[in-house]
Amino acid sequence: MIQLTEETRSGWRVVSVSGRADSEAADALEAALRSAVEANARVAADFATLDYISSAGLRAVLEAARAAQIRGSEFAVCGLSAPVRKVFDMSGLHHVLRIHGELPC
Amino acid sequence: MLEEVVLLAVDETSGGLRSTREFGTAYALVGAVFFDLALARKIDTGTEAIHILDRSPTGSATLDRVLAAMAQRGDLTSVRQWIDEIFHRRDDLEGEALHSLISLGLLRHEKSKRLWIIDVERFPMADNRPQQDVRLRLAEAILSDTIPGTRDIMLVSIAEPCGLLGYVLTEAQLAARQQRIQMLCNLETISRKVADAIRALDATLHQGIPRMM
Repeated sequence: MIQLTEETRSGWRVVSVSGRADSEAADALEAALRSAVEANARVAADFATLDYISSAGLRAVLEAARAAQIRGSEFAVCGLSAPVRKVFDMSGLHHVLRIHGELPC
Repeated sequence: MLEEVVLLAVDETSGGLRSTREFGTAYALVGAVFFDLALARKIDTGTEAIHILDRSPTGSATLDRVLAAMAQRGDLTSVRQWIDEIFHRRDDLEGEALHSLISLGLLRHEKSKRLWIIDVERFPMADNRPQQDVRLRLAEAILSDTIPGTRDIMLVSIAEPCGLLGYVLTEAQLAARQQRIQMLCNLETISRKVADAIRALDATLHQGIPRMM
């Protein structure tokens, strides 16, 4: 299960993601991030309470980052939990994503 | 993905399948099966094990056969074990992908005799635009600095360990973008695992080490 909530803080649209970003949740995650990117110039995905991210979840994040790049929006990933940080580190996602320890806003 | 890999491997002049590495096309087809199953949301993987999510048919006989085999072998839990298993099953992935492309009207099937007795099969292009499209996508994924689409990331991570990138870019271009290629191969969990598994399988076959179970 995944829980998605959104709010605007200091000009950033913050999408907070909790639970498990697995194959079952990947479409919802990608849709939420992409729609935030399409409607806002600055989007932060807050993964502080995300417990797990699978290959399908990672692809959803990459597709949202790609959409932001095409649109010229800022897209940042923040507050990675330890298990999610491990996956991001192994994948070298810092090469293509802005990753912050805390929310940029 | 299976058809895209075959398109990359088809020599547009001779109509034969080629790779710069021994078993390169066979590895690439095994990897492509995995990616097709992942894109169809039939399998998913975390940092360790691979999970079957849905055993319902995909509509592709090749994918459904591999999926059914995976469902019966609960003892095989890693991408590497499955790449190894599918490779050694010797299913005719190449023939199935070629027939799919023939039925789509992209390739023709020609049979002839060499020295009057040896059967020779060729698969010349009936329409080379899809092949050009796959090559362009790969070239753009490697030469640009933008984030490629998921399918293109997967395609790079198959083409690199299977020796298919040499048909898309020059040696100098590949050398200059080696860091980018490695970054793309590593970027997404299942892509990284498939690329690593293909490299490990290749090393095993060339060292004569018994297959892992």
